[in-house]
This record gives sequence, C-alpha cells and structure tokens, in this order.
Amino acid sequence: MIDIHQVRKTFKTGAMKIDAVKDTNLSIQQGETVGLVGESGSGKSTLGKMLSGLETPTDGMIAYKGIELWKKKKFKRLRPGEIQTVFQDPQSSLDPRMRVKDIILEPLLALNSKERKEKGKMERLIYLMKRVGLKEDHMNRYPHEFSGGQRQRIAIARALITDPQFMILDEPTSALDISVQAQVLNLLKELKREKNLTYIFISHNMSVIRYMCDRVAVMYKGKIVEIGPVQSIFQNPKHPYTKILLSSLPSLFEETKEKINFSHPPSLSSESACVFYQKCPLRQEICLKEPCYQPASENHTFSCHLQ
Amino acid sequence: MLLEMKDVSVEFTGMRGSVQVLKNISLNISKGEILGIVGESGSGKSVTALSILRLLGNNAKTSNGEILFNGTDLLKIRTKEIQALRGKKIGMVFQEPMTALHPTMKIGRQLAEVIERHRAVSKKAAFRLAVQALKDVHIHDPELVAAKYPFELSGGMRQRIVIALAMAAPPDLLIADEPTTALDVTIQAEILNLIKELNNKNDTSVLIITHDMGVISQLCQRTLVMYGGEIVESGSTNGVLKNPKHPYTKALLNALPDLADPAQPLQAIPGEIMDLRHRPNGCSFAARCSIAGEYCRTHQPALVEILPQHYTACWKGEKEQND
Repeated sequence: MIDIHQVRKTFKTGAMKIDAVKDTNLSIQQGETVGLVGESGSGKSTLGKMLSGLETPTDGMIAYKGIELWKKKKFKRLRPGEIQTVFQDPQSSLDPRMRVKDIILEPLLALNSKERKEKGKMERLIYLMKRVGLKEDHMNRYPHEFSGGQRQRIAIARALITDPQFMILDEPTSALDISVQAQVLNLLKELKREKNLTYIFISHNMSVIRYMCDRVAVMYKGKIVEIGPVQSIFQNPKHPYTKILLSSLPSLFEETKEKINFSHPPSLSSESACVFYQKCPLRQEICLKEPCYQPASENHTFSCHLQ
Repeated sequence: MLLEMKDVSVEFTGMRGSVQVLKNISLNISKGEILGIVGESGSGKSVTALSILRLLGNNAKTSNGEILFNGTDLLKIRTKEIQALRGKKIGMVFQEPMTALHPTMKIGRQLAEVIERHRAVSKKAAFRLAVQALKDVHIHDPELVAAKYPFELSGGMRQRIVIALAMAAPPDLLIADEPTTALDVTIQAEILNLIKELNNKNDTSVLIITHDMGVISQLCQRTLVMYGGEIVESGSTNGVLKNPKHPYTKALLNALPDLADPAQPLQAIPGEIMDLRHRPNGCSFAARCSIAGEYCRTHQPALVEILPQHYTACWKGEKEQND
C-alpha cells in the first residue's frame, strides 16, 4: 500500500545540516499496523509527516498504492482525506474556537461538494461521534469542555470523517492517563478491524507498540536499525540499540533484568560510521563503516556488523 | 520516622468556590526508605509533595493535620525556617529539567551557589565540590559540563544536574516528582539507577511520584496509590502490584499493555478521571468501579488494614476479609 524508497530528509540551520531521516526503506501492506519506535529526535515523526504531506522529503520516493506522493517537492494526493493523521497532543491539535461539530466536519472542505454533502450528513456525524464514544449533545461544545481522552476521541472522529484508508497515529496516547489510554487503544483497534484501515503507529512506548502492531521498525538517529514482526523483535532482538531499549523497560513483576547500558562516546569517529557507533557498547573497528541490512529470520532484518 | 504526614487536607480556593484536592492524607517515610506515590493526573500526588515543602500557591489552604519532619511540624514553623529546610534537609527534583535550571547561568556556578548556601565553604571550594557533585551523578567530563549552559545539554544530562542540585546539601529526604516522565526509556533506566545508588550511598530517603507502575516496581519498597485526592491503597510494592486489593489498583494494572501477553485485550476503566469539584458522597471511585454497590455510592470507606501492613479503602475489600 505504501512504499518508501531511499527517503532522506535534511534539515538545515545555518551551516549545520542534520539528517532527520536517512535512506529509509519501508513498505506497508494493506490492513497492517506498522509501529515506529525510537527515542526523541530519531526521526519517527518526521517520517510520518512526509507521508501526510507536512514535510517535503529531500530525496527518495514515497508511493501510495503505486502512485508517487511527492513529485518535484509537491505533494500529490490521490484523493483528499485518504491519508489522515491523529496527533499526540489533543490540546493543541483542536482549534479552541471551533465547536466540536465544525472540527469534525472541517476535513470535508477539501472534498468536492457532492461528496461533502454525502459524508457530512447529520446521521453520519452522529454515528461517528457515537462510534468513538462521544455523545450527541457534545456536538455544540468547545474543546476546552472536554478531558484529554475525549479530545483525542474528537481528533479520531475528525480523521475518520473522510473515510480514510490509511492513518498515521503519531503518539496518540502519550498525553493520556493509563486508564484512558487503554480506552483509546482499544477503540483504535476496533476501528481498524471494522473499517479495514492501515495504521502507522508512532510511539516511544514499547508495550503499547507490542499491543497494537503487527510489525515494528526501530529507528535511531534517522535510520531504521531493525525491522520485523513484533514478536520476533521482542523475543529475539538483534541490533544492540533494540536490546538496550528492551532491557531498559521497567517491568512490573520480573526482578531486575540484566541491564545493558550505553557506552561513552569514543575518541575515534568517522562520517560513515554506523549511526549507533557513538553509544554502542559492542562497537569495534569494523563499525566505522556503515553496516548493511542483513536478515535475522523471515521479514526480520537489522543493520549491524556484529551478529 | 523521618517524615510523618497525618491527616493532611488541602483546599484550593478559586473564584467559584473552593475545591478539596487532598483529603486526609497520612503517610510516613523512615530513614533510607524509598516510598512511591502512583496515580493519574488530578489524583493529588504532586500536591502532596508540594505541601510537604509548603510550595503551594497562595490560594491553597492546608486546613488540618500535621507534617512532622524529624519531629518538627512543617506546617507550624515560620517561613524563614521552612526556607532553611528546603534544599538543605529536603531536596526536590521536578519533572521538567529545562525549567528547573537557570537558563543563563553556567552549570558549575548554579551548583556552587547551592553548595555555598548550605555548607560553610569558600567560593573556590564550592566550585570544587560542584565538580565532584557532577562526578557523583556520573557525568563524564565534569569540568567541561560545569562550564556549559543548560541549553547545551540533553534532557538526560539536565535531569542528572537537577538531581545533583537536589543532592548537593546533601538532604535527608529527596522528593522526586515524575523525574523521568520527560525522558526516553533508555535514559529513564539510567536516572532510576542513579536515584537508587544515591539512596544506597547516603542513606537518603526518597519520595518518588509517578504515574508509571514500572518505575514504582523498580525503585520503591512501599507504594501508595492515590485517586481523587485520597490514598486508596498502600502497602509493600510487592503486595500492591502482585496482590492489589483496591478495585482501582486492579483496574489500573489491567489497563496496562502486558508485554508477556500482548494478545490479551486491554481492560479499560470506563469513564473519566473524577472531577474534584463534584466530589461524591460515597467512595470516590464508585462511579467507575465494576463491583461498586449502592452502599459504596453513599458511604465513604476508610483506609483499613486488610493484610498486615497492607491498607485499602474499599467496602468490598473489607467484606471479602470478613467472609
């Protein structure tokens, strides 16, 4: 459904150039939930934004159903509202001066009038609001009258009004409390099954990723260092960064696991070194050359010399 | 007992009347102990921490109870006296490490300032101690970092420095309010280890406030669970996490995605977090509780010892024990 090929995004500030996303390849099948996980600044949100047209890729190709999304720095969408996003912070992603009804219906303005009429029907709005767990009489209220969880439900309803096929969920539950997070995660799972949606799920929370996703891509400094089915990644992590990530998860019941730590930056470095070279506890001389991807098992690849 | 809070209630007064945010909170921390408070937003966990240091705003009123620290009631002493305790006897670490540091002051100077204030040392010696303090929180190249400004450092480094600041005196009690919430998991693990290590080394007691059950299980010997400004369950961390007695604690644990069994659907807690402005007559969790009966909605449960050293405020729990 989505094909990302050698995509790169470079941000420039003055003389500094930073690759937020570098040479990334990823393909997503219809009906799949792919997780993107990594620390802050690893490029996971930037990658999501390039899919929804909010950031221009510097290089590479992104195709949606075989059609290129970016042509000469211009975003070509197949049909408005086909790809929708739910952002992390429902406080800032909803216009405080709009009523809930208007917020949810706003994406329809991008459609032609016939479709707009059809999709903007009152029954459909009410059905959708009820489906995401809001009440009919919430329609004329303003965002500030809702709690965090309810605001995120509004954001989900707004994303669903155009009947998207593909949704980018950028940390949709990071700002929510645990008890409400569970409600929203379950809702997203149900909606996916009902409407046969495809998700990209961006999160830094490994247990949420494990619960939601079929496949997961671990990002570090703009590069996917490991990708594979969730089960395989969690049970048999190959890349040292993934191992550290999993070992630092505080578990509820296990006694302290053996913890792997980052290493301190080395004196020696090179431009073409592995992205994780600076902090890798296992690094060797060979790591000064960038590693290629190698398979660990079916569909599970990672980028490290030392395995 | 290092710290004893007895029946403390706090009210916030606003234009539309007052809201009770803490209701009869009692807790104690002994020397060298790590106590955790866990709860969701609005449960009153941060207010509990701030009330100990009397850092609440002018609209807050601590209406009754006492907070004994080494025997003195912190609520009764003069402002000057509590100011002398802050930082010296009780250190505090806040959630957001950027806002807790002075943005235009070099790290070494910031630390030295605190050391000068709490210990009788010369300026030069204070700076030396500051560098040593940075070393104690495992900062590589402490001299280099001492000459930097906060914006030049990563979030994890900044939080280490905030901890170094809080531990500079060194205090008898460290209060850490969500010390790792703004950090990545890998950095979080390092900071938690650091807190544990400092606790071991100096025998400092720690009160840690978090919404993350994982942090609690890694760090704390005892745990309090708060909901709606009340303590609903308290006991040893093991007891609370493995054998929770209050339906809220049980529900909270069930709402967490389980790494071992991801196929298990999450048991969401219905409804929203309680609005403190509309406190119900009965149990504050009754509206969202799956086992609450009519009695729960009209009568408020008290914290009772259901197992040795394990307390819960639930009518149903008590009944279970009697049966």
